[in-house]
Parts: sequence; C-alpha cells; structure tokens
Amino acid sequence: MTTPPVSGSVTVKSPVSRRRLSSSLVFLVVSLYFLIPLVATFYWSLRGEKDVLGFEAYRKLFADANFLPAFSESILNAVATILLSLLIVVPTAYWVTLRLPRLRPVVEFITLLPFVVPAIVLVFGLIRLYSRPPLLLTATYDSSRFLLICAYVALSFPYMFRAVDNGLRAIDVRTLTEAAQSLGANWTTILIKVIFPNLRVALLSGALLTFAIVIGELTIALYMAQHTLGPYMANLTRSKVYEPSAMAIVAFAITWAAMGIIDFLARGSSRHKQMVDTD
Amino acid sequence: MSYLSISHVSKQYGNAVVVDNFNLDVEKGEFVSFLGPSGCGKTTTLRMVAGFEIPTTGKITVGGDDITNKAPNQRNVGMIFQAYALFPNMTVAQNIGFGLTVRKMPADEIKQRVDEMISLINLEKHANKYPYQLSGGQQQRVSLARALAIRPEVLLLDEPLSALDAKIRVSLRAEIRAIQKRLGITAIFVTHDQEEALSISDRIVVMNVGVMEQVGTPFEIYNFPKTQFVANFVGSLNNAEAEVVDPAGSILSMDGVHFKTADAEMATRRKGDKVRISIRPERFSFAAEPIKDNVVDSTVENITFLGAVVRIQVKIGNTKFNMDTFNNPFLELPSIGAKEKVMFSKEAVLVLRSGEERIGPPGNRYEADDIPAST
Repeated sequence: MTTPPVSGSVTVKSPVSRRRLSSSLVFLVVSLYFLIPLVATFYWSLRGEKDVLGFEAYRKLFADANFLPAFSESILNAVATILLSLLIVVPTAYWVTLRLPRLRPVVEFITLLPFVVPAIVLVFGLIRLYSRPPLLLTATYDSSRFLLICAYVALSFPYMFRAVDNGLRAIDVRTLTEAAQSLGANWTTILIKVIFPNLRVALLSGALLTFAIVIGELTIALYMAQHTLGPYMANLTRSKVYEPSAMAIVAFAITWAAMGIIDFLARGSSRHKQMVDTD
Repeated sequence: MSYLSISHVSKQYGNAVVVDNFNLDVEKGEFVSFLGPSGCGKTTTLRMVAGFEIPTTGKITVGGDDITNKAPNQRNVGMIFQAYALFPNMTVAQNIGFGLTVRKMPADEIKQRVDEMISLINLEKHANKYPYQLSGGQQQRVSLARALAIRPEVLLLDEPLSALDAKIRVSLRAEIRAIQKRLGITAIFVTHDQEEALSISDRIVVMNVGVMEQVGTPFEIYNFPKTQFVANFVGSLNNAEAEVVDPAGSILSMDGVHFKTADAEMATRRKGDKVRISIRPERFSFAAEPIKDNVVDSTVENITFLGAVVRIQVKIGNTKFNMDTFNNPFLELPSIGAKEKVMFSKEAVLVLRSGEERIGPPGNRYEADDIPAST
C-alpha cells in the first residue's frame, strides 16, 4: 500500500500550535476586558482642557486643598493599620504554627470573617457598639479614627494572616525557634531577630495588600465621618467631571506600584536562593 | 560523680510511653551515641536534655545542677539539628555570633570567638556568606561552630549527618569527633546509623521502643550484644533455630549438623531445648585449615559482590547463612553449587536467652534470604 502524496500548499496545524493560538486569543480577550475601561478612564482624565489632551485634571487634582490632607490621612491610617495588624497577626500565626497547629482552622475561619461580613454591616455594628459608654469611641474625630484603624485591621486579617502563614510555612519555624532557644534567646529576641527578618517578603506582601485596601476604602470611612481618600473620591465624583478619572488613575498607579514592589522583592529573594555555592 | 546524669527519666504522651525509665551517667568529655530505629525514643530523650520536652518523671543534672525543668534558653546546652537550622537572614559570622550577642558579650570578644570558631571549622573564606550560599556540609559545620561558640556544657547532635551525602557524612563525622576530642566537650549524638555510632562513640546506648536495650562501648555492642534486638540492629546477622544436644559439652544441632558454642549459660539448659542462635557473617570462613572449633559441610548458593566485601551465601543443613570475606583482586571464590567446608569459632555462636529476646522492627533485621541474588 502506498501513501498518497501530501499537497505542498496545505499546512496542517499541530495540536500544540492550535493550543498556543487559543491561549493567545484568551489572553487577548482578557487583556482587552481589563485594558479598555482603563484606557478609556485615562483618556477621559486627559480631556480636562477643551479640545486638548493634557494633564489639566491631574494638575487640578493635586492643586485641590482637600486632596493632599485626605491622601496623607489615608496613608497614615494605612501605616497604622499595617503596624497594628502585624503586631496581632505575626505572633498569633507564629504561635499557632509552633504550639497550636490544631487551632489553625479556627484562626483561619476568624480571619476570613471580613469576607463574609459586608463593610456596611461592620460599620453599623461598630457604631452601635462604640457610641455609648463605657466604650464610647465615636465622640471625637481622633477616637473615631482609632476605631476606623481597628476596623481596617480586621479587614486586613484575611490578607495579612494568609501572607504571614504562607511565609511561616516556607521556613522551618520550629527548628529555627529551637536553635535560637538553645543559643539562649528568649521569645522576644526570637521574634525580632529570627522570625520577623525571615518573613520579610511575606510581611511586605501582606502590608502592601493592606495598604491597597485602606487607601481606597470608602464605606467605613464615610460612615465614621473621616476625611480620607475614599470619601474624597466619592465627593469628587459628585462634583467634578474629569478629576475623578484622574483620581482613579492615580489610585490605580499606587496599587500597581505596590504590587510591583512585592514582585520585585519576591524575585530578588528567590534569585538569592538559587545562588547556591557548591564548593 | 558523673557529669551528665539522666536518672529514671520517662516521657509519656497520654497513654503512650515514649521513653521508659531511662538511666545514663555520662562522664565529662565523653561522646555517647543514642542508636535505635525511628520511634525508639532517642530523639525525645535528647530533647529532654535540651529542654524542648519536660520529662514526665525523673531527673536530669549537668555538673550536679538540676536542669530538669529549666527552660531551653536557660541551659547552657548546644544543639545541632538534622536540618542545620541556620538563620537564613544572617551570615556565617552572624550565625556563629548569635548566641554570644544574646548573652550581651562585648563586641570585640564576640568577634574574637567567632573568628576562632570559623577557623576551627576551616570556613574562613565563607564568613560573610549567607547559609543559602553554602553546601550542606558547610552549613552543618557552621551549625557546629554556632553551637560550640557559646561554650556549652553539653553538646547535643540530633542526626546531624542524615541530610548529607555519604562521602561528606564520613568526613564530617570524623571532623566532629576530632573537634569534640580537642575541646573535651561532653556530647550526645543521636543516630539510626549503626556505622556512624560505632565509628564515632566512646559508648553507645541502643534503644528500642522507649527502652535502653544495652549500653556499652562500640566493641561490646557489636561483639557481645545482650539482646536479640541489639544483635539484629547492630551489624549484619544470621539467625537460625537450633536444638541443645549436649548442655555440658555446649553442643547444639541444626538440621543434624552439630557445632559448639561458648555461651556461658549452656550448662543451665536441658537436652532438647530449642534455642535461637545468631552468627555474624564475618565470623565464617572456608576451612582451608581446620583450626576453628566448628567445621561443617555447606553448599555455595550465591555470591554477591559488595565492593570491599564479598558476601557468599551458603547452605548448612537446610538453613542459609551469609558469610562475608574481604575483597581482593586475587580472591579465589568458589563456584555456585560447590560443596565447601565452612568453619566458625564457638565464640561466634551467640545464644540469646529467651528473657532478652525482645525483637525489634523487622525492617532492621535481615535473614539470609533477603540478600539480592545477583553474583
């Protein structure tokens, strides 16, 4: 039996190249889905001046007397949230990993609660609980701000705990702790000199995710009458045309910068690990 | 009075007894190995000395000081872990100096001690490297230097060589032993590797299911095992059933083949008693000159080349035995199926008393049939 000659003009695509083509198509569609609104927002933010594309909306945004105070207040809130969250989550996750592994599902469930409880429910709960003595915390702007930061700490738990927990799983916590103990270190020294430095990337990842959440948070800040970036953006949308788009792009840039920093640091860390000296 | 004393120490988790009435006195500068299979309680005992576990009962003293309930960071005990446990965020020098920094020693003294330790382990060129830049052997040497830098009263080594490849393991164990001897430090070494324990220790504690089976020098443990478990766990062993033929003459019979034993308690046995005997493979030889007490007929069943040793499987009566002989290029080996006379001394025949026949996990023993059939 002879094989019929294959026509030179007909090319049969292999399953691999077909799969590659369909993957590229999916990637393109998803990219467009994300990019079109972003490009449209950016384009809209450039139309602040009549018939000219420029950064007028950005100039006006940064010139607004309320923008920088709101922005800096949000940044301070984010930093305070990160510090408080680290102080609560790191020792908890460390202790659960080291001594109470059976409690891990319980702690995981608790840290996931902010996903289940909507922010609006959380804020009304907080206002109800803390608006009368002996737990009166809504009486002044500063005490409300403290309450807001505590609420943000709760919101950050799912991200922070997961990041720290992953970091702890990546290092041999028990052995490192025992090694430090055998060398005479107490718990505080172990946490500060051994555990925290070895969770650098995990802590940074949790911290930056927390930062991204706090910077743009609206619901809780609005109901607690706080002058942060979230309520500022909401007001801006109601009163201006182009500045909200500029604001959205700025917030987006901040978030992406945060993600970029995580990625950069994580890559640096993994590159170091690959440089094993074999001599 | 001994330097490190572990007396009547037991450890229980719920109803499970992990270590049962452990008693050991260790002299200053002595190197003692805890040898046994996984789950025998050796690491738990070590961890009780380190302070990571608190004994359920018993007492541990170092230099007369009761440390039984002291926190690990309040005992001056150095520990080396299987997984190295170097702090990844610190350089070699910082790792070694960690214990000294914690003790708030002056910076110049720390530097001097760290330099001393680095030169002790010959890693001068690597002082500023991070653990991930070192090989496994180098990391474990740093771990040793870090543990020694605090000048511990006792050095504990928890299977420190298990994660290393065979060559490094042999050279590092020699290095550990040399450093321990030079510094005169008291050391406890946990291992499941009999060769490691035999080569490095002043004394060995063989453990099984939480109980000390035997304590002795490597020579005693290997040549005079007191229990079936020790005999099986340390070294290779042939096991067989035999019958007492003449208690007064110390003569046993196995499938009609008669041979002598030097067992001291043979006189207490009765004719017809069944006993379990053990003979190490290297105690057999082919009878060129019949100078040994026992010369018996055998058939060569199999020959296995193991590098430095050639293992020959012979059948005596109906029982298969392995005999080991050193390899050399001019070794004349019998052919398979050949009838050969095999000899062994009466001292080679270990008769284990029934009260001491505590049999260990089967994975740690072999019978002659387990040997691969390749030639």
